Amino acid sequence: MDGVEFRHVSYRITGRTRILDDFSLTVGAGETFALVGASGSGKTTVLKLVNRLLLPDAGEVRVQGIDTREWDPIRLRRSVGYVIQDVGLFPHLNVADNVAIVPRLEQWPDDRVAARVRELLELIGLAPDTYAGRWPDELSGGQRQRVGVARALAVDPPVLLMDEPFGALDPITRRQLQQEFRRIQTRVAKCVILVTHDMAEALALADRIGVLDDGRLIWCGTPQAIAGSDDRRVRALVESVLP
Amino acid sequence: MTALFRFWLTHQQELATSVAEHILLVAISTAIAAAIGVPLAIFATRRPRLSAPLVAIANVVQTVPSLAMFGFLLPVPFIGGVGARAALAVLVLYGLLPIVRSTIVGITGIDPSIRLAGVAMGMTARQLLRQVELPLALPSIVAGVRVAAVVGVGSATIAAAIGAGGLGQYIYRGLSMVDSTVILAGAIPAALLALGVDGSLLWLERRLSARRHARSRRAVAAAAASLAIVVLAGSALWAARSPAAIVVGSKNFTEQLILGEILAQTIERETGLPVQRRLNLGGTLICDRALITGDIDVYVEYTGTALTAVFHQPAAKDPRVVTETVRGLYAGTGRTLLPPLGYDNTFAILVRGADARARGLRTIDDAARVAPQWRAGFGYEFLERPDGYTGLAQRYGLTFRSPPQVMDLTLSYRALASGQVDLIAGDATAGLIKGLDLVQLEDNRRYFPPYDAVPVARAATLLRYPQVRRALEGLAGRITADDMREMNHAADALKQNPADIARRFLDRR
Repeated sequence: MDGVEFRHVSYRITGRTRILDDFSLTVGAGETFALVGASGSGKTTVLKLVNRLLLPDAGEVRVQGIDTREWDPIRLRRSVGYVIQDVGLFPHLNVADNVAIVPRLEQWPDDRVAARVRELLELIGLAPDTYAGRWPDELSGGQRQRVGVARALAVDPPVLLMDEPFGALDPITRRQLQQEFRRIQTRVAKCVILVTHDMAEALALADRIGVLDDGRLIWCGTPQAIAGSDDRRVRALVESVLP
Repeated sequence: MTALFRFWLTHQQELATSVAEHILLVAISTAIAAAIGVPLAIFATRRPRLSAPLVAIANVVQTVPSLAMFGFLLPVPFIGGVGARAALAVLVLYGLLPIVRSTIVGITGIDPSIRLAGVAMGMTARQLLRQVELPLALPSIVAGVRVAAVVGVGSATIAAAIGAGGLGQYIYRGLSMVDSTVILAGAIPAALLALGVDGSLLWLERRLSARRHARSRRAVAAAAASLAIVVLAGSALWAARSPAAIVVGSKNFTEQLILGEILAQTIERETGLPVQRRLNLGGTLICDRALITGDIDVYVEYTGTALTAVFHQPAAKDPRVVTETVRGLYAGTGRTLLPPLGYDNTFAILVRGADARARGLRTIDDAARVAPQWRAGFGYEFLERPDGYTGLAQRYGLTFRSPPQVMDLTLSYRALASGQVDLIAGDATAGLIKGLDLVQLEDNRRYFPPYDAVPVARAATLLRYPQVRRALEGLAGRITADDMREMNHAADALKQNPADIARRFLDRR
């Protein structure tokens, strides 16, 4: 199977409270799954378990059918795109070189790297001729975030993790990028796990939504179904985005 | 000011060599310190528990005064001893702290999200280091290298004390001659060098922290390449310096510099062997140590000093007995005492020439009669030494109007000449005796032990080059106290070059 599967996963920080408790979830190829929850609910931990930045204390995480414990971490991470919260563009590399990092780690030939960079910059809507040579500190927040997405997609990984990708943007830019993300996702059809505290964003982007509360998945279903939930905590989240 | 420029002009070539030596010392030591310090710091960032102790150790090393550091390293095998190698070792130790500290700061200061991005993209630890951590820490590392290099320019002046050359030679020579022109002749280029190093590395650092990183990477590459070229060329020059058969040493005062030249030129003239001069070494202990380790082959010692300072024997009075005792002590340890040069550089009790003539003073006994109306001024060493003031006062029943004043030895000559004091204990061969019209009183009760000037050589060297022994034996008894006084006067008062003075002396014979 091509997606990501969590089977009864628990994770705790040594000597401290449980961060994730008996967490089970399957996200398939081409599906966008949004994980919603307050900060501290364990959302980022879920993502870090997928690309083996963390290993579970109990249960197992399977990526493309293989337990993350059995993956070579380097290989695994190169087949999982990761858009992190603070973007994390390398300030000493220009836009093109930032996007080209993983292809170069994979030792693609130069002309293939160059072609891929152009393709990706067009995909995210930044004209290659204008933006390829720019430096991260010359870009707006929205542009940086787009470059972050392009970088994560560079070697066409089957799985894409997104940690509050649009969180730090102004509302207008956020809407715009969300639309673009949907456009991109219809073309690339990844298994996407998106973490957000913003229910509106989850409703706008996701095929399915999961609600995480204090390390437990308390609700999981389609955006259409979530309005009908009678769980008090889920209702609070949904009502927060109603006009 | 004009004197300074004149000095530079007349010492052009020597100055160029010293500047080159100085730059090489700093460039090579800084390069080595970076080559050790950067990996060490990277290791420390991987083992955070090590990083604090490491910086603490480097801090402690940094606080050891450099002269003391040279002293500590003297007996250490391979890197110790005298010469460029030991100087490099000390400079490397000093350079480590700023480089280690700034590399650690540079790496740990990287935004964690950037490092996380690298790891999450599947970089191996090595790829993360080379592609992310090092490039981002580079400005900070260069800042550390800059501090190390600037500190190095300063510390390298002290390297002259162990014969590593460089601009410090002028500073030491100037200090021993109490000639501020000579001190400045070394200090000013050293200061300019420090400013230049600071400025150029600061420029590089700014380039690196600026936005245009691609171009600055080229700047770093260029800088690293030019440093590598300097280091390589320097080491090649160093290695290619004519392999000297004989190394002549000397202590760091005027008379010793002249004697060193006399030995060196005598060997050159008589044997044709290539001679290296390692003059201006920082004192008896360093010269002796260098002789034992083979860093030098011969230098001029004084019998009384050898007896008391080198072999820690009680002072004795009879010159012949002292010479034979010292000869035996040296012979047992692979060193050979050659025949004395002919003069005795003992303490000299000095009075103004005018007083001596007016009162008919010839001996210390004569002076003891008038001393109760006089003031005396002595160097610190003379007041402390077992063969110094206390014994002298007892032997001659000397009392003064007030307790003797403590003053710098060199300054005491001028204090005497200008009438601030009436009697001093100087150096029998001081050039100032002639220059300031002073008179040495005879030690008629034979109080002072003998300080016959005598070359000491490595026995192994003399066995290998018997012609060197013959050449140096040719100097036996050839230098009188008057000769030496005149030569010291030519150097100290007339500012002539020790090499020229020695050449004239040898030509005259």
